[in-house]
Amino acid sequence: MVTHPNLVKKLIGMYLVQTSIIFLLVTISAKQDATVPILQGNDAVLAEGDDVDPAEYANPLPHVLTLTAIVVQVATLGVTLALVTAIYRTYGSLDEDELLKRTE
Amino acid sequence: MSYQYPAIIFLIPFLTAICMPVVCRKKRDWCRPIALAAVFAMSAAALANLLNVLDDGETRYVFGGWLSSSASVGVPIGIEWVNDGLASIMVVVISLLASVCVIYGGPVVSHSLGTRVVHYHTLILLLISGLVGIVFAGDIFNLFVFLEVVALSAYALVGVRGGKALMVAFQYLILGTLGASFYLLGIVFFYAATGTLNMADMAQHLAENPELMTSKAVIGGSTFMFIGLGIKMALFPLHGWLPGAYTRAPDAISPILAALMTKVALYAWVRIMFWVLGAGTEIGQVHVLSLLGVLGALAAVVGALLALSQQDVKRMFAYGGISHIGLILIGVSQGNPTGFAGSMFYLINDAVMQAGLFFIAGAAIYRHQAHTVEEWSRLRGASPWMTAALVVLGMSMIGIPPTGGFFGKWYIILGAMEAGNYLAVGAVILATLLTMAYFQRLFVSVFRDSQASPPAVRVETELSLRLSVGVTAVTIIILGLCSDPIISFFRTTASSVGL
Repeated sequence: MVTHPNLVKKLIGMYLVQTSIIFLLVTISAKQDATVPILQGNDAVLAEGDDVDPAEYANPLPHVLTLTAIVVQVATLGVTLALVTAIYRTYGSLDEDELLKRTE
Repeated sequence: MSYQYPAIIFLIPFLTAICMPVVCRKKRDWCRPIALAAVFAMSAAALANLLNVLDDGETRYVFGGWLSSSASVGVPIGIEWVNDGLASIMVVVISLLASVCVIYGGPVVSHSLGTRVVHYHTLILLLISGLVGIVFAGDIFNLFVFLEVVALSAYALVGVRGGKALMVAFQYLILGTLGASFYLLGIVFFYAATGTLNMADMAQHLAENPELMTSKAVIGGSTFMFIGLGIKMALFPLHGWLPGAYTRAPDAISPILAALMTKVALYAWVRIMFWVLGAGTEIGQVHVLSLLGVLGALAAVVGALLALSQQDVKRMFAYGGISHIGLILIGVSQGNPTGFAGSMFYLINDAVMQAGLFFIAGAAIYRHQAHTVEEWSRLRGASPWMTAALVVLGMSMIGIPPTGGFFGKWYIILGAMEAGNYLAVGAVILATLLTMAYFQRLFVSVFRDSQASPPAVRVETELSLRLSVGVTAVTIIILGLCSDPIISFFRTTASSVGL
């Protein structure tokens, strides 16, 4: 969709690329039979120094990265929408071919 | 105190950028002095930091004190910044060039941006703080965040004037975001393979498990990272966004973009290439450095050829920048300290030269409405200072001693000879000849006696324009004269990463 002449479609294509990478980031944190990374059941009341089995908990770091990546994505989307709005206000069109012809 | 320098250098422009729209909402005249104070303070801190690093060796700044538990020594859990010799020199270059760009910005900004001076100063400070972050980052995800901070402020800066620049800003944004997404994809693969994001820790993991280097995750990850950063550094087949963005960007903004954006992306790749993957890497069956050398040679020659065919002067300089990214890559990829030191030195020189050339191009448009090569004939006589600086910078672009550009190219060629890579030597020489050809065109146009040009009215430009252009021209000569200590410093850096 990034090659589509309509600027909004381009924007959607860009957004899809970013979102799919974020999904990939989430999937690598998943483990079989694992739960949320908060100490559960007996682990929560155990004293410091006891072993906690990491295999029981999902990896929290990719989720944190995902949050940061989403913030970056939102900021990018904000700037893109601002640019698209400004382009539409100036030229009254969102068709790339026409815009390129007029900005020559 | 001295331990805190990296954070201080970053926070000065960052906090100023955040406060600027609030403070200057009513009083637009304040933003320039505030921005100047911020960049000067930052340059002072950067110089102090450099002296500190030269005295005491590298330090690692650990954010929030999230240092390792005693189990795994030296690996922080949180974000880490590496403050070593290469990084501190780059930060000095960034902060000094940023100061010169803000000085230059004054008259040109009020001429071309009108009431948007507050936007300009806020965004430019954000851009600078992001660049500092990229240079210091010791964590590949942190590097991604700063890459996006820099990129977002750059898109906004290109489009800040509105009008025709909006369209190129949009194209730049789409390509730049795709680049950043590829880089993020690379991070995901690397994280899946090694389970860490810290560069030093990752390098250790990769060294301990050599079978990882042939795994699909690392092959795919490093390919995606290289493509992503390749878009950011405008490496030849991926350079599409650059000429339009630099040409159409407001004249006060193209110097800082041209000087720093692509170079810092290249620096980020050098960090990953030598500090994470290791110098002698073969990924899959491919020897990475030889591949980089071929890509660099291609970029150097094709960039210079494209520059030769341009009419618009700003566009010509933009293609010159693409060609120089290729030259730097050639030097880095020779796999010996000479080539590495030469290209790091050339990287600094190229940042100064590009800033100076775009200063002159901006001033020519501002003062003489001269956009194309033919129109540049108005410069001669009208502004002798500018023309003199143009000659010095042109000599450096071509590579004539005693300018800094000569020594950079000299060591790159020496490095290529040492490696026995005569293709690379040929590419550097061919690129040099082509550079000479397009500067010849420019010089002919400026110095030719033509009847058509009107009698020269001496229009001396503002002090700040003359100052910034003069400073870059003098710096390039000083860099040339002091090339020896800088080169030997970079040689020790190169040998510390196993070249």
